[in-house]
Parts: sequence; C-alpha cells; structure tokens
Amino acid sequence: MNSPSDAEVIGRSLDEPEAFGLIYDRHAATVLRFLGRRVGAEVAEGLIGELFRIAFERRKTFDASRVSALPWLYGIGSNLLLKHRRGEARRLRASARMAAAGEAADRRASAGALDARLLFPRVADAIEALPDGEREALLLFAWEDLSYQSMAEALELPIGTVRSRLNRARAHLRELLEPGGEKRVRSR
Amino acid sequence: MKPVDLARKLRREAAFEPAALDRGKAVLMAAIRREAEPKRRPTIVPQVPYEDIRAALSFLERAFGFREIPTARFVSADGELLHATVEFGNSLIGVGGQGHHGAISPMSGGVESQFISVHVDDVDAHYRRAVAAGARIADELRDHSWGERTYWALDLEGHRWRFGQPLREVPPSGRRRRPGKH
Repeated sequence: MNSPSDAEVIGRSLDEPEAFGLIYDRHAATVLRFLGRRVGAEVAEGLIGELFRIAFERRKTFDASRVSALPWLYGIGSNLLLKHRRGEARRLRASARMAAAGEAADRRASAGALDARLLFPRVADAIEALPDGEREALLLFAWEDLSYQSMAEALELPIGTVRSRLNRARAHLRELLEPGGEKRVRSR
Repeated sequence: MKPVDLARKLRREAAFEPAALDRGKAVLMAAIRREAEPKRRPTIVPQVPYEDIRAALSFLERAFGFREIPTARFVSADGELLHATVEFGNSLIGVGGQGHHGAISPMSGGVESQFISVHVDDVDAHYRRAVAAGARIADELRDHSWGERTYWALDLEGHRWRFGQPLREVPPSGRRRRPGKH
C-alpha cells in the first residue's frame, strides 16, 4: 500500500481539515531545522507553528501537480524570515566568528589561520549585502541543498529566473570578496 | 574557494528543545480545529451585573469553571474593567458593572430577579469544585423525580445559579453518594 502523496493529503484536507496534520508530521522537522539555521532555535521554535498555520490556511492555493509540499513550505518560511532580518544577520555574524575560530584552530601556526579570521566575517557581510532575492536563492541552494526545480517552487519563479538569480548572487559575492570589495560591502 | 562553498562554511545547526515540534503542532491543530468547528455565536447571552467585576471573574472560574475570553474585555481609558465575557460549554455570559443598563446586583438591590440554569457534564464534580471555592450552596445536590440531579449555588454577590445533569448520564456510583459526605 502506497502512502498518499503530499498533494493527495492536501487535497483531502480541503474536506477533512485534520488530514493536514500529516503534512506537519512529514515535514516539520526539516522546516524547523531550516528556520533554525537562519534565525536560531528560539525564534525558529516560535515560527514553526505559525508557518504551518499559514500553510494550512493557504492550502487551497497549493499546486496539486507538485508531489512534495516541502518546497512550498520553504517558500512560506522564506517569507516569514523577511521579518527577522536583524536576528538573521546577528546569527550569520556569530556563525562567521565561530567558523573563523574553527579554521584557526585547525590550521594553528599556519598562515591560513589569519586568512580565516578575516575571510569569514567578510563572507557574512557579503551575504548580508546581497539583495533579498539573491540572498534567499543562495542560502536555499548552499544551506538547504534544494534543486533548481525545488527552489523555483519555493520562490514561485520560473526555473530560468532562479538560475540567473543564483548566478548573480555568485557574481556579487565574488565581487564583494575581492580585494577592495570589503569597502563596497561596508558602504552599502 | 568558490563563493557557494564559502557560504556553506557559515551553515550552522540550531539546538532545539525536544518539545519544539509538539508546540508547533499544537498551534497548527488549534487552527485546524477553529476551521473544523467554527465557533457558533450563541443567540442569547445573559448579562450578569457585579459590583466587583474582577472578583466575580475570579470566583466564576474557580467555583464554576467559567473561563474568561481575554480578548473580549472592555477597559476604560483609566484602566477600569467595564465588561468581560466568560465562556462555558457552548455558551457565553457577559459580566458587567452593577447599575449599568438597569442591571442590579443582589448585593446592592437586596433582591434576586432571576437565576441562570446551567447544564454540566459531571454535576457531582462540579458541586465539589464550587464548594471547595467557597460557593454558598442554596439547595443541596440531589436527584429529582423528573430525572435530573441538581444543586443551586449563590455566587459572591448573591446571584443564584442552578447546575444540573440528566440522571441517565450520572454514573450509579455518583448518584448514591450523599453530597454532604463528599
């Protein structure tokens, strides 16, 4: 016996709202980890129920041709995160400090240690300096390992637009990380 | 290092409390319930006047299990609580100030003009709760020939409440006990 697809479950939940609980059971842990990477445990824990409440209330708009609801849930999450930009930036800077300390410990007494201490905070600043759409595409790709197709579903964009947005994010990052790029980051 | 690989280095997992997912699910299920059973607005809402609304709300919850709907409070500009609403089962009761709209509390007026009849699921348990909270019992818990088990209580300001349950719903063990021995 095959278990019903997300699309079938959501379709059923239009008449039997309780069925939507299964969507939570399937995906909440993944979505909670996604939110946690972005804004930390405390805020993520407060957002997870809200995210699924919004999904439940919008379930009529779920495109039934999609098999998995996960990209759609990522998309709702991405929108919710826009209200938490400051917390997200704070966490990213902390992550950069920790990554730099980690690298420094790995390469003790090597020339790379100094580089890492300078490099990672700059990466954080560069990510923060990206336009919202590019930053979202970059993080869904680099942190969540979403495919182009899933990103397109999450961001509700044509797949070609997702590709070009991600390429722009790459180019921007490269530019911001070049010598002298730091100044451009700071001045934004 | 490529930009995406650099970004990946900043990916960091958060440490969640074990109950985080349960709390989230509770939020979702509450939303589902709200849709599945849209709350019906009762057609008739008795309005009961009190000299001390806050004390009344506290008593009605402790003694009778009436829960205030926090979002339904009316508070004046200087912070005086003017009106509140409590819910019980599928009903609402308004709790207002004595003297407003001609409604008089027995504590001020010295007379009762009416009583409110409430159906409960477990009248014996309800009686014990009311007694424990200091409700004055006006008529003891007992069975009636018309097939109901009831008691009457007076609240802090002397409003009279009647609580009852059909005898066919009362478990035999509950019915045989004398209320005085609870």
